[in-house]
Amino acid sequence: MMASPVIRLTLRGVLARKFRILLTILAVVSGVAFVSGAFILTDSVKGAINNLFVELRGEVDLEIRTKIAFGDSARAERDPVPVSLMKDVAALDGVRLVEANLLRQTTIIKPDGEPLKTSGPAFGISWNGPDGLDGRTLLEGVIPTKAGEVAIDKASAKRAGYVLGDKVTLVGPIGKGEFTLVGLTGTGSTSGGGGASVCAFDPVTANEFLGADDKADSIYVGITAEASRSEVQQAIEEVLPSGYEVITGEQSAKETAGAINEIIDIFGKVLLGFAAISLFVSAFLIFNTFAIIVSQRLRELALLRAVGASTRQIHQMIIGEGLVVGIIATGLGLVGGLGVAKGITFAFNAAGAAFPAADLLISSRTIILSVLIGIGVTVAAAIVPALRAGRIPPVAAMRPELGFSALQRSKRLIVGLTTLVAGITLFSVGLFVQPGGTVGTLGGSAIGAVLLFLGVSSLSTTVAAPVSRAISRILPFPLRPMTNSVPGRLASRNAQRTPRRTASTASALMVGLALVSMVSVVASSVKKSFTDQLKTSVTADFFVTNLSFQGLPVAFGERLAELPELGSVSPFRATRALINGEEKQIGAVKPEMGDLVDIDIQKGSIDSLADGAILLYKDPARDLNVGVGDSIDVTWQNGKTSKLTVGGIYADSSVAGNWLIGLDTLAEVSSAPPVDFFIGAKIADGVSIEDARAAVDKVAADFPSAEVQDQAEFQKSQEDQLNQLLAIVYGLLIFAIFIAILGIANTMALSVFERTREFGLLRAVGMSRRHLKRSVRWEAIIVSVFGATLGIVVGIPLGIAVAIALPDSFVTATVVPINTIVTILIASVVVGIFAAIFPARRAAKLDILDAIATH
Amino acid sequence: MTDVSTVAAAGAINASKIYGKDDSEVRALDDVTVDFALGQFTAIMGPSGSGKSTLMHCLAGLDALTSGRVLIGDTDLAQLDDKQLTSLRREKVGFIFQAYNLIPTLSALENITLPMDLGGVKPDQEWLDTVIDKMNLRNRLSHRPSELSGGQQQRVAVARALASRPQIIFADEPTGNLDSKTGAEILAFMKHAVTDLHQTIVMVTHDPVAAAYADRVIFLADGKVVAEIENPTAELVLDRMKRLGS
Repeated sequence: MMASPVIRLTLRGVLARKFRILLTILAVVSGVAFVSGAFILTDSVKGAINNLFVELRGEVDLEIRTKIAFGDSARAERDPVPVSLMKDVAALDGVRLVEANLLRQTTIIKPDGEPLKTSGPAFGISWNGPDGLDGRTLLEGVIPTKAGEVAIDKASAKRAGYVLGDKVTLVGPIGKGEFTLVGLTGTGSTSGGGGASVCAFDPVTANEFLGADDKADSIYVGITAEASRSEVQQAIEEVLPSGYEVITGEQSAKETAGAINEIIDIFGKVLLGFAAISLFVSAFLIFNTFAIIVSQRLRELALLRAVGASTRQIHQMIIGEGLVVGIIATGLGLVGGLGVAKGITFAFNAAGAAFPAADLLISSRTIILSVLIGIGVTVAAAIVPALRAGRIPPVAAMRPELGFSALQRSKRLIVGLTTLVAGITLFSVGLFVQPGGTVGTLGGSAIGAVLLFLGVSSLSTTVAAPVSRAISRILPFPLRPMTNSVPGRLASRNAQRTPRRTASTASALMVGLALVSMVSVVASSVKKSFTDQLKTSVTADFFVTNLSFQGLPVAFGERLAELPELGSVSPFRATRALINGEEKQIGAVKPEMGDLVDIDIQKGSIDSLADGAILLYKDPARDLNVGVGDSIDVTWQNGKTSKLTVGGIYADSSVAGNWLIGLDTLAEVSSAPPVDFFIGAKIADGVSIEDARAAVDKVAADFPSAEVQDQAEFQKSQEDQLNQLLAIVYGLLIFAIFIAILGIANTMALSVFERTREFGLLRAVGMSRRHLKRSVRWEAIIVSVFGATLGIVVGIPLGIAVAIALPDSFVTATVVPINTIVTILIASVVVGIFAAIFPARRAAKLDILDAIATH
Repeated sequence: MTDVSTVAAAGAINASKIYGKDDSEVRALDDVTVDFALGQFTAIMGPSGSGKSTLMHCLAGLDALTSGRVLIGDTDLAQLDDKQLTSLRREKVGFIFQAYNLIPTLSALENITLPMDLGGVKPDQEWLDTVIDKMNLRNRLSHRPSELSGGQQQRVAVARALASRPQIIFADEPTGNLDSKTGAEILAFMKHAVTDLHQTIVMVTHDPVAAAYADRVIFLADGKVVAEIENPTAELVLDRMKRLGS
């Protein structure tokens, strides 16, 4: 008696429909779990990575490095610092310790001769032992002090199968070496390098084996306890020649962590994107459940109106039920988020990603956003059913038929069309006009797609009945068309009887499958474009890439170039520079690249690269309004500037990118240690492919991280990468489809409940349980095939639009994959069968007398 | 005709209700003028389609007239908006339906006080006790509708209609779903409510026995009032029905 009657009715309403609401809650829970899981995961991993880098910096108080012109980050290319500077710095007051920081690619070869694969980079470093400045610890053995000794991080040594005292083969940037494993190291509190493998040498050995040539990446400085850091910093700056800067250890750690955090943020955003899709699909499920519950409670709601409940009180009641569902689901979803974060960490670690062990952090932002989103979506989805419920006239308490018309009334066609048109417009503007860069493009097309889905969902009510009829006629059931049997006819009629319910149930599935179709169109187009490109523009016979993303040691390319079995050989390097005030990635190749990749030179010649010229893709050439013979001002990252003459303009940027310079030009302006991203090679005239391959493989044996591929292998490995990416995308979309299956199951269960009397009658006049089950199952199949059809009809044009909007360097052909469409249709039948399992069982279990006796 | 000295609890003046348009037009009510006196138990009778239910729906503010006026007390329903109609239903009118009378998720007592709870009004405890005792529901108050027999459910419905002491109670075939013994019991309760508790009840029925409990019977046919009996008996009502039917 204490609570207001609206609250009491709301709570009782939820309790009375526990079961029907359970699935709804489940749908919201999974969406919220995704959202909070994404936040928890990124927060936790970022926190752990920041800690790791702070630990790694150990007692580094100051760091000396070369200044760069732009783009300070861990990825910036810096010229190295001569080790000779260390003497001057060490002599300063307040300086306790000075160390060279040197870090280069070093691969561990396992006892079986294969390189140790790592999820992070493979490093070799210069190390002064645990008493030095960095945060590396010695866990077992001794520190390496002379040539032929190495300490490896404990986790990598264990994975490679090495113990203290073993002979270990390592491959550095300039060649192989044999070392004795004398120590096992850890980083801060961990036994690994956060997914990286780390080989530590004493400074002299490191300088030699890592090919540093008495230069370091930077110089670490530790100060005495009584010294003031800012004073020491100033003193160092004074003795340094120009072109150097001194930063604090904290800033250095922050920059390093920042580069990795960016990747984690992108990962988190992708996860959030899928969470949004799941939530959007759940909204259909919530909407549907509430709409059905409202129509089932028609008499009850009318009675409430008759005894004096106001329209507002009815609104409050239904929205209140949404609120209760939202609150419960959000609470469970937050808990689920912890599970999602743990699960993803586990899955990625199992795949070798080595996320640092981290306590799961739930920030207040995670909670606030999850609560807003979870409750917001549920309540928003309950609004329309609530408004409909409010329209039920009191007289429907006695004449329910009057109430149904109130539930049906809506301007669906106009609203649906308007939403659809607005959606298509926004989607197209986002995709093709691209206002406001990436954010505008993604935001515009995403909101456009949401409106488009809502519009289609709303309009699909109009076609639900005829399409359901068509589906039930066409579906080739094993023995005979569905409509030839009583259960089949009943299923078909039932799907047609409530077109609105059929349409909104199918819509949830539509969203998931439309995205799948869209992605598959884009992916097929990318694949086709790539294959076409490889056929037409790539003429190299071999490609060498690196197993990890660190690039190849340049020595490899140099040795390949000396092989008589090969004709043209060119590496591809990259650097960054400012052109016309904007940061650009610039490729550096030999003129021989012209024999390996057809970049479709329109003016000038690729040979001009040898003379220090720059080549431009036609678009930037047009934007800058330059032609062959004009010059362009370039500022390199180390601050040097060049005036480069345009030596040619090309029309195919798919491999070369927008800007190309010669390798010699790059070497002149940058002294950062070079790496090759890939190497292309052509077989010399008269040499068989087998002989050439054997020669290349022989060189590659000295560079275990290199992967040599011929055209077919290269194509396959690129396709495999794309397929892997696709598998992840499909995997995440499965969640949305799973929610849609829940939706179909829920609607079917509610329909079965509603038709209790009808089923009782059918059973009474002789329908078997099996037939009843079949009828329910077929109805679910009709609904899901309808949803799949909508999904394909919507998704394929979306995919084609995206494929067209993607830049030509990426997609040149548009392909609609027929096999995917067939798969989706077949899968949707399976989805229907799955969704019907429980409702069909429930229908079959009904007791005839009970069913008829129910009001 | 109605005694001039009694005050009308409700009434209709030139009430017409037309469903559909043109060819499919149905005159459910055709210029009906009728009064219901305070403290009287009136039965409205007539064959199916005679307009008796429509008349009641319009009198109760559940449905709107096509033309004419309906008064509850001295309030003209046509002048009220949805909000005012809602509070009128809550405060001035009580309902008893044939079935589906109660909210299944609320207990008997919560169902009885529902209209007042919805209006945020505290029930008059003394009156509530009187009603509950009169309907013999004292030991059923915490039960849910599903735990009550049909007769008990209908008694709860009567109690709910009485609880807010409305100006007038409308009952739509209140015994239609009950066996004759339970039906008689309910009608006796309703009769008590009029004689002992001085309530006003208008009941639509097609059962002459039920109509015999009323103080007055109005006969409708084809949307018009065609006859009226004061202090009816079942025989009188049946006799009149036969004559109207022929």
